[in-house]
Amino acid sequence: MRVAVDAMGGDFAPSAIVAGALEAVEALGVEVLLVGPEAAVRAELPGGEPPAGVELLDCSQVIAMHDEPGASVRTKKDASIVRGAEAVRDGRADAMVGAGNTGATMAAALLRFGRIRGVARPAIAVPVPVPFGRPHLLVDAGATVDCSPEWLAQFALLGRAYARLRLGVDDPTVGLLSNGEEPGKGDELRKKTFALLDGMPGFVGNVEGRDLMTGRPDVVVTDGFTGNVALKTMEGALQAAAGLVFTVLGSTDEARAASEVVAPMLLQGVTDYLDPDTVGGGLLLGVDGVCVISHGSSSARAIVNAIALADDCVQGEVVASMKRAIEPETERAHAR
Amino acid sequence: MPAETHASHDPLGPTEVHAIIRAHLGEILEIDEARITLEATFAEDLEADSLALIELVEALEEELGERSVGFSVDDEDLGDLKTVRDAVEYVVIRLGGSAA
Repeated sequence: MRVAVDAMGGDFAPSAIVAGALEAVEALGVEVLLVGPEAAVRAELPGGEPPAGVELLDCSQVIAMHDEPGASVRTKKDASIVRGAEAVRDGRADAMVGAGNTGATMAAALLRFGRIRGVARPAIAVPVPVPFGRPHLLVDAGATVDCSPEWLAQFALLGRAYARLRLGVDDPTVGLLSNGEEPGKGDELRKKTFALLDGMPGFVGNVEGRDLMTGRPDVVVTDGFTGNVALKTMEGALQAAAGLVFTVLGSTDEARAASEVVAPMLLQGVTDYLDPDTVGGGLLLGVDGVCVISHGSSSARAIVNAIALADDCVQGEVVASMKRAIEPETERAHAR
Repeated sequence: MPAETHASHDPLGPTEVHAIIRAHLGEILEIDEARITLEATFAEDLEADSLALIELVEALEEELGERSVGFSVDDEDLGDLKTVRDAVEYVVIRLGGSAA
């Protein structure tokens, strides 16, 4: 099992990415293919040499965060993201992990792996933590910002298939993120999508933003723009809430005394639980291969967890599950 | 500049290029190829977004690159290709043929 890792992707690349990859080799027993300009990658390796289980794939270009996704994959054919995707396509790696330009990582995976038949556009599935409960999946967390109702319906099918593996649920429930629970709520995209999903196994109707951390339902479907805004809003709100708690704990002598007991529990339990690095990344659903997209500010710990997720997805044959899930719907569409 | 055509191949004409584009685009968009007429617009009629067009261009470069050495599409030209006819004429000229 070998994972291609875009060594140049992310705010703290290549140092955090390479450190995470080396740690993953030790901790998970996987092999890693580090993709990036060799001199830059070697500078992060102890002694400048890759240890056992690590290979280097040299390239001359890097796609920056501000580069236009689709065009950059075409114009920078020797970029680390593109070469990483090609390594999977050509069988040199079993999966890829990238923390760089999300759109470009998605485009590289789409163009080099190809799409699962019946899927128009990919979506990122991110597990959202639920206090004292099973996490649920937010689909799409940012891969495809402009969506059609048909694409959202495909996200629902893919999300359900992935939830079976990722959440261990036999019959996952699916909700459509909207601004009200009633069927008529939402903009045109939501209303048309609701009509397509109505009657689909597992569909429980609309859900609201406040349901995002309740675990009801197992899969929350939305377009990539809304999903990304919702995810970042949750992260910001949780960080603000944690900051507020620690401010209050330091505000009086009594509070400070109490915090000596409470603060370690909060730090160890709550912040670790809500830290996005714990999740590591989201799986790109709908492409014909395993691609995990991590957030731009990924630490070494996030990369370890992203590689672990990629490993799980390969071992769990998640792509084959996606194909089985989407195939009947595709056959029905072609028969119409 | 037109691509260098292999000696064993005649330049493709508009009919053949249309057929190649229709086949690739039908697969990419998963639509009936009959919808991909010369008059069809990529954006409005076929609902092909920029990523779909890039998929098409990559597929054309792979297939036609085997016939014509160095066949490629300039990304700067993509914005000018509004209809299937625009794409057919562009490809034929790039292959060194006549779009007429």
